[in-house]
Amino acid sequence: MLVEMALVAIRTSKLTKDYGAARGLFELDLQVSPQEVFGYLGPNGSGKTTTIRLLMGMIRPTTGSAHVFGLDCVRDSVEVKRKVGYLPGDVPQFGSLRGSEIVAYLGGMRGGVDRRHVRAIAERLDLDLNRRFREYSSGNKQKLAILLAFMHRPELLVLDEPTSGLDPLNQQEFYAMLREARDDGATVFLSSHILSEVEHVCDRVGILRSGRLVRVAQLDELRRIRVHRVEVEFAPDAEVPEARLRSAPGVESLQVEGSRVTCTIRGSFDGLLDAISDSEVTDLVSTEPSLEEFFLSFFGEPRPKALPA
Amino acid sequence: MTGVVLTLRLGRWGIVGFSLAAFVLTFVQTTGFYQIAGSTPGARAAFGASMATLAAQFVALFPPPIRPDTVGGYVEFRGFHPLAILFAVWALASATGFVRGDEERGTVEAALATGTSRVALIASRVAGFAIAITVASAAAGAGFVFGVALGHETVEAQRVIEASLLLAAIGLACYALSLLAAQVAGPSASTAVAGALLLALFIDNSLSRAMASLTTWRWLSPFRYYDLSQPLPPGGNFDGRAFLVLIGIGVVAAGAAAAAFMRRDLGAPLVSGPRIPHRLRHDASTAPWWKVAVVRGLYERRLGLLAWCAGMAVLAAVFVALTRTIVQVLLSIPTLLPYLSIFVHQQLYPAVLGYTWFNVAQLLFAALAITYVARWSAEDTDGRLEILLSQPQSRAAIVLERMTVLAASAVLIAAASGAVLYYASHQQGIDLNTQRLTAASLMLVPFALVFAGAGSLLAAWNPRAAVALLGAFAFASYLDTELATIYRLPVWIQDLSAFKLFGTPLLNGIDGRNLALMLLLALAGLGSSILAMQRRDVGA
Repeated sequence: MLVEMALVAIRTSKLTKDYGAARGLFELDLQVSPQEVFGYLGPNGSGKTTTIRLLMGMIRPTTGSAHVFGLDCVRDSVEVKRKVGYLPGDVPQFGSLRGSEIVAYLGGMRGGVDRRHVRAIAERLDLDLNRRFREYSSGNKQKLAILLAFMHRPELLVLDEPTSGLDPLNQQEFYAMLREARDDGATVFLSSHILSEVEHVCDRVGILRSGRLVRVAQLDELRRIRVHRVEVEFAPDAEVPEARLRSAPGVESLQVEGSRVTCTIRGSFDGLLDAISDSEVTDLVSTEPSLEEFFLSFFGEPRPKALPA
Repeated sequence: MTGVVLTLRLGRWGIVGFSLAAFVLTFVQTTGFYQIAGSTPGARAAFGASMATLAAQFVALFPPPIRPDTVGGYVEFRGFHPLAILFAVWALASATGFVRGDEERGTVEAALATGTSRVALIASRVAGFAIAITVASAAAGAGFVFGVALGHETVEAQRVIEASLLLAAIGLACYALSLLAAQVAGPSASTAVAGALLLALFIDNSLSRAMASLTTWRWLSPFRYYDLSQPLPPGGNFDGRAFLVLIGIGVVAAGAAAAAFMRRDLGAPLVSGPRIPHRLRHDASTAPWWKVAVVRGLYERRLGLLAWCAGMAVLAAVFVALTRTIVQVLLSIPTLLPYLSIFVHQQLYPAVLGYTWFNVAQLLFAALAITYVARWSAEDTDGRLEILLSQPQSRAAIVLERMTVLAASAVLIAAASGAVLYYASHQQGIDLNTQRLTAASLMLVPFALVFAGAGSLLAAWNPRAAVALLGAFAFASYLDTELATIYRLPVWIQDLSAFKLFGTPLLNGIDGRNLALMLLLALAGLGSSILAMQRRDVGA
């Protein structure tokens, strides 16, 4: 049993943290394999950070258990943290310490880190470690947090919304670092509320809603179930193929206003493209829905007040 | 108006805490007076004479009392004067909290983004604090009035209002001066610069009571204008001009702070030093101290630690210099000579120095512990504790390292102040027992650890309330030792106070039982805080 558990990077069993008033995390059964990049997707307040804090031993479960490489996250928390690189959702404050001192401080608590590896990451992220923490921009603070998570080559990376505050260039660099870490044998547990990010880097995705894991999907399944909002502008003298569009597979919520058509596409774009292939299209815009809209579409939830009709 | 309400909302716990402290202090001192002063004119006259003697030893802190044989004179001296210092500390914390804390948290930026002008923001903060300190000062007056009513005496309402207004005015002046200093120094140095300014102004006035050379400079200090009035005792006075000067200091300093705020960048001081060429770096620091537990904590706090060592050393030298003056005053009272020869066995200088310096040192070491606990609480709320706990360290190790850093800091500060005390005494021709001086100075370490233990437990249990609760604990502990004999409290309650357990080590050596009790209290605090930390959720 113990050997079997050790072969799994993360295993949770009926893991529950009940904050009352239906807030928290409830009966989470999850398994993440070694060298897997697991995306943990859910809107704000769905329980992502609670799960991560339970894995890190920051909070104690109400019931159930969590294991990392066979180690109990509460009982063996020191051993667990030896194997884990952690990036919290909110970057901690280090006041007037310099970046180089923060790295040395936390590295010292780990008994030392590979200085060449630190240097390589800092160069790669273009992070100046000679600046004081309070002088860093929010993007640079996030880069520092990434460096602190990666600096000791952990076996498991637990990352809570790691790209918030990063510019697109650094996001790409970060994704490359994730892939390299995985290729070097690391497992990644990454929480996000950005659908495209998870789709971009993860092998498998867990979808969390209101504190409950509602689906664990492979990447192709996620692609199948995800939706896009599309606006098609036809040429003024062209005929809008409304009937073909209405019957096209994957096309939903169709609205026609003159030469402008809006609809939702679920899964593949093939049906839409077939339907408009004989018409002259002057513009086509596809927008990725927010996670809230995704849930709205996927689970048929009532529309939240914040979302436009 | 919204800004004022927000200021009051942000500072609500301070208002409640300081108002409560002010009420309790004046009430307890008033009722205490009736317990110990006697009821006959003769008894009260004798009590007044002994209070005047006691007051001579505290000349560096408070002005000499007027008619301490009356409830007004006694409470003015024992209640309102200490409150003036307490309110100055509140003003300092509140003003620098606005510049440092609120600016770093982005609250100031958010307020300015709403279209509020910088002048309006400063004005709202000053107005908010003025309301807060007026409430707390009124609470002090109310405590006195209730106490007097219980003693079946009456007091003129005008005198109480004047005493309360004076407290509010000194607090407001200190707030505005701290605000000005903080605006000039910028967020990172605000607390140190404003604290140094207020301390210098306080010492300037205090020492001028004993050192004639300083009398020409005491007009600079707002505390001087507070001293000019003592409205509560019969024959006391309320100096209206001095009161207006205090208000004037507040208004002018607040205006200057607003002007400084308009001219500086957020997050930066008004005047920046020359720019040092910046060198790009991608390496971790190679300094060896980051690898060693406790040493890294001391290194991180090195500037604060140096400031504490220097400040305590200067104060120690000042107290030695004052001792001669105080002793001369005591020796000039013929009726005291038999008392002095019986009770202090020719050790008048060590007795006075031990009483004055170590009383103040105890208060400052309690304050040191509170500043460390404030830091621990801040680490909890700003996410730093979470990142520390994500390293392979147990929670017990983190708590233990925190306490050890505090203990090591206390040892360094006690050693610095003790060494200066010894050297300055030697220079003044005051013969101190070296062994007892060393023991007394080091006794400040377990004293600080008692507060650190309690603070560690509070920070583990409820970090947001830890500082306020520890402040209340320190206040109650101080009241316990002040009032235990007056109210005839049981010995075990007296023994809970670290102030009582400290004893008089410079005069009588260390009491082993008291030392053991202090260490036991500190260990109990440490142990229970480790347990509390193990069980609590971090970051939730």
